[in-house]
Amino acid sequence: MTVTAAPHPPVTSPPVRGSARRGVLRWLLPLGPALVLLVLFLAGPILWSVYIAFTNEALTGSASVDSRFVGLANFVKLFGDPNFLNSFLLTFVFVIGSAVIGQNTLGLVIALLQRGRGRVTRGVVNGVVIAAWVVPEVVAAACWFSFLAEEGTLNTVLGISQEWLYTAPMLAVILANIWRGTAFSMLVYSAALSEVPADLLESAAVDGAGPGRRLLHITLPLIRRSIMANLMLITLQTLASFGLIYALTGGGPGTASQTTPLYMYEQAFRYFEIGYGSAIALVLLVIGALFSLVYLRLIKVEEA
Amino acid sequence: MKRTLAGSLLLLTAVAGCGSDPEEPASGGKELEVLYKVEPTWPHLEKMLGDAKKQYESAHPGVTIKLTPVQGNNEAYYTKLALLNRSPDSAPDLYYHDTFQVNADVAAGKLAPLDDYLAKWPDWTAQFPDSVKQAAKGPDGKIYGVPISTDTRGLWYQKDVFAKAGLPVPWEPKTWNDVLTAARTIKQKLPGVVPFSMYSTKIHGEASTMQGFEMLLYGTPGGTLYDETQKKWVAGGKQFTDALAFINTIYREELGPKQADAHNAKLSDKNNFEWFPDAKLGIALDGAWTAAAWKPTSTKPWPQWQDKMGWTAMPTQNGEAPGAVSMSGGWVMAMSAFTKNKQEAFDFITVATNKQNSMTYSVGTGDLAPRKDVAADPKYSADNPSVKFFTDLASVTHYRPAFEAYPKVSAQIQEAMEAVTTGSRSPEEAAAAYAEALPGAVGGADKVLAP
Repeated sequence: MTVTAAPHPPVTSPPVRGSARRGVLRWLLPLGPALVLLVLFLAGPILWSVYIAFTNEALTGSASVDSRFVGLANFVKLFGDPNFLNSFLLTFVFVIGSAVIGQNTLGLVIALLQRGRGRVTRGVVNGVVIAAWVVPEVVAAACWFSFLAEEGTLNTVLGISQEWLYTAPMLAVILANIWRGTAFSMLVYSAALSEVPADLLESAAVDGAGPGRRLLHITLPLIRRSIMANLMLITLQTLASFGLIYALTGGGPGTASQTTPLYMYEQAFRYFEIGYGSAIALVLLVIGALFSLVYLRLIKVEEA
Repeated sequence: MKRTLAGSLLLLTAVAGCGSDPEEPASGGKELEVLYKVEPTWPHLEKMLGDAKKQYESAHPGVTIKLTPVQGNNEAYYTKLALLNRSPDSAPDLYYHDTFQVNADVAAGKLAPLDDYLAKWPDWTAQFPDSVKQAAKGPDGKIYGVPISTDTRGLWYQKDVFAKAGLPVPWEPKTWNDVLTAARTIKQKLPGVVPFSMYSTKIHGEASTMQGFEMLLYGTPGGTLYDETQKKWVAGGKQFTDALAFINTIYREELGPKQADAHNAKLSDKNNFEWFPDAKLGIALDGAWTAAAWKPTSTKPWPQWQDKMGWTAMPTQNGEAPGAVSMSGGWVMAMSAFTKNKQEAFDFITVATNKQNSMTYSVGTGDLAPRKDVAADPKYSADNPSVKFFTDLASVTHYRPAFEAYPKVSAQIQEAMEAVTTGSRSPEEAAAAYAEALPGAVGGADKVLAP
């Protein structure tokens, strides 16, 4: 859903004016095919989906062959739709719970705990955490399903009968997403922490700063830009998360775990309302962009 | 730089290659693609089409049949088919099609009318009853598919459960109240047994609408989704609310499956492969095909089913004439408007729906046979004593209002049912929400009749 713009190559102005055209050709020619592909397969679909969001396009029926321009009707319907508002709220809970709090904190804690440990410990912990990240979403969902199901591992171990996926679907998908996504944050923070100079921490320790103060006043300020970058990346990833929830709860029971991507899928591909689905996608895109802006802003403030 | 250029060009060629026509195989012969659905517990259609492919290819040298399966439930199949049908290049030549989706595709011009071909096919007049021929009739009066199956719906009950609960066998409920009373008795006498199972959530899609809601609505006095005389959709009303109230009673009194099971996509497998054989379920409101789960052709046969299971008609609300209600639908083999080889494609339909293949399908799936010669064959009902009963339900059966808007109306009904199932809305609130959403689903308030 969210697309980060491809970085543009630095364009250096040609030294002599007469050869400007040759200069342009020099970078345009090798870049041309890639540009064409980008426009065709990246910008094209995005523009098409923006257009579709303002029509009554459907997957079947007469609207699928001659769709009409309906103006803002899809958006008016969207903001008055209790199911959309519900999905929006759940998406917010899901992003905050599983990404901003869960993955981010857990990743940082694991990275911190790994500092100064032996190679074997680091290797084993890294291996286990990354293994969860490497498995495909559907496999991760299947694992969690068999863990939380009525006759699943958790109930067997605890000796109780509880339909976790029915009674606490949001908790289930949040836990599953933390389990799966923590590796990314852990890797980012491991790299950032290795940049924190050891002598700085040592001298702080000599000055009498305990581990808490060293973390709060030295480590965290030094890695703050990594924190912001990590938050932005995992927020965008989680915002668009679909496969894990779809395979685990299908958005249910009812709409209890139907985040916006799932609601969008239901409208577009189950009820065949492609136009309405595209409108939801567009709103989701705007939300993703807003999140990115806030994070970018925070990084800039830090830099200034 | 030269290397980059060459690489980019290579990529471009590859991209250009994507657009080539997949219809014609390299050998120069013709190819027909047939789309169908398959599930691990439902392999019967695949078997029938595999047989048809062999028969057809040996009789039509130079034409290859390409069978393209879609793995998954009906809802997954509808989506896959709709997406493939978006472009003439990806549309399958022939497809297994649910009759309630036919009119939406006719309106979009995706289906080819078959009348000219049917006129020259003797089986069409000799073997298909008139009622069955209507299954895939478009608003223009043309026929858009040859029926593979038809069906009716009713109540299945477990005789051991009934005996243990002290209920009479055979059981013949006359009103909704009789059904509820039996369910209440089971709940009271046999804890741990699910008294009554029905589909009532969105995850079961059209099964909820048709096996669940419409079996109730069309059993109320004058209950219907569409007013045929005024040509308008009916927005809720007392009958609609009453049907929802029945579902509400089932779940509020905990006469139905647990909520988690009501929302489980595999509820029908639980009903038929686990609960009924284990005497953990009393009554199920389901289709004629249900017995297929227990027959020797099933993936998990239950040899004792003929002694343990009973079946009876779903009564009308208060026993109003004709005393029972049923809904009928079915699936057809349809031809794409985009296929280049229409005569060859139609010939495949005639092979797929001939007596032998129709028999394979009906015996395996438990669906009612659309062909007279299959229905009359003793092999058809040999392992299934329930066939005659469900075939006779045709006398009280109703058909869905098969208009283009129906799938959207159905989605709204599922929404209302699910709200009542979870208890998030009362029957009155859910009916009011349906009435409010209906104009949007059918394309305008002028197409809606206030109750």
